[in-house]
Amino acid sequence: MVSKTEEEQVNRLENQVENGGGGAWEYLCLVRKLKLRRSDKVLKHGFSILNDPKKRSALGPEGRLEAMLLEAKGLLAEAEKAYSSLLEENQFDQVIHKRRVAIAKAQGNLSGAIEWLNKYLEMYKQAAFCYEELILSQPTIPLYHLAYADVLYTLGGLENLHAAKKYYAATIDLTGGKNIRALFGICLCASAVGQLAKGRNKEDKESSELQSLSAVALEKLYKQQSPSKLSLLTSTLRNFKL
Amino acid sequence: MGGESRYEIHQNAYIKLVLHALNHRTSAVNAVLLGRSAAAAVEIVDSVPLFHSQIGLLPPLEIALSMIDEYYGEKGLSIVGYFHANERHDDLELAGVAKNIGDHIARYFPQAPVLLLDNKKLESLSKGKERSPVMQLYTKDASCSWKLVGSDGNSQLTFKEPSANIVLLDYISSEKWKDIIDFDDHLDDISK
Repeated sequence: MVSKTEEEQVNRLENQVENGGGGAWEYLCLVRKLKLRRSDKVLKHGFSILNDPKKRSALGPEGRLEAMLLEAKGLLAEAEKAYSSLLEENQFDQVIHKRRVAIAKAQGNLSGAIEWLNKYLEMYKQAAFCYEELILSQPTIPLYHLAYADVLYTLGGLENLHAAKKYYAATIDLTGGKNIRALFGICLCASAVGQLAKGRNKEDKESSELQSLSAVALEKLYKQQSPSKLSLLTSTLRNFKL
Repeated sequence: MGGESRYEIHQNAYIKLVLHALNHRTSAVNAVLLGRSAAAAVEIVDSVPLFHSQIGLLPPLEIALSMIDEYYGEKGLSIVGYFHANERHDDLELAGVAKNIGDHIARYFPQAPVLLLDNKKLESLSKGKERSPVMQLYTKDASCSWKLVGSDGNSQLTFKEPSANIVLLDYISSEKWKDIIDFDDHLDDISK
């Protein structure tokens, strides 16, 4: 997984960054690449990079546009190359950083097909990492919370499911209760948690209340916008209630 | 698993799959195949296009499969297979996520095929030379991995209506793909 030299490199960079030397960017890239768990440090340095206005790129608006055009055309690999070279010149451009993260996530599937048929989960962890950074930089965008919740749910495990539930709830909060995917997400989480933790009764009451609230909200929305599908929804929801 | 498996795909199902892929050319798309198992072959009667974004995520997939099961169960059909189209034009490798979903479906229906869109065949379609379905057929072999089935193998994918490709061409030229709504669209706007 992580070779000794890489480990040493990370530790060296970590020390350098902690002590105020430069290299925060390389440190972050390396951490992400090696998928190490250094969340608190990453948060700290990520913030410092993203929030430093001095370091936003002055040069490169044409270069950026070109790269975005490539990305929009779907030529992700070329776009990624363009972004990478732009980033080399302008290390702290937040916009490019964001685009690259989005590409990394989209490309996760591509490189997966080539490299890691067996390392399925690692891609999701990488995606989770990227989303964490996105949410950090722009916490009011419900889309990020929603996508992060989806990734957490897909990763699975009791802890992730609980976290996913919270992010779905955050999405519902941010969208005023209108986001269908988030409402469904809550129902799914509740039933998945119920399946995993059959013995524990502590959180049942709160979580089943949340689930029935979401179910009611879903039914109301379907009634308003798509009454023909209402009965389908009801029977589907029944399946989730176990 | 293994042995003779013939799959017959109805025109309706087939056309929906290809049009959906054409509707979202720049992303990977997928769909489930509905049908029933008959003595001679597995009949793929209908298909439901699923997603064109964030395909690998579980929650929308689970909801979709659950709803589809309910809906078609009443009609006497069940989920019999899975269709996938890769994001890149010349990518003919069966992606991990496709295999996973295929495995999941195969747990309930062991003969479930996975169909992968073959873009090259799709292109030659417009030259009017293609008679067979523009997709590759994968089935699970004895070692429980997905194997590509050649046209000389035991398993085959055939059309129920031989004119399917011609009808498809017609729909393509009249840009019918714009009318295809998939599950992603539904989740974004449930009135669809």
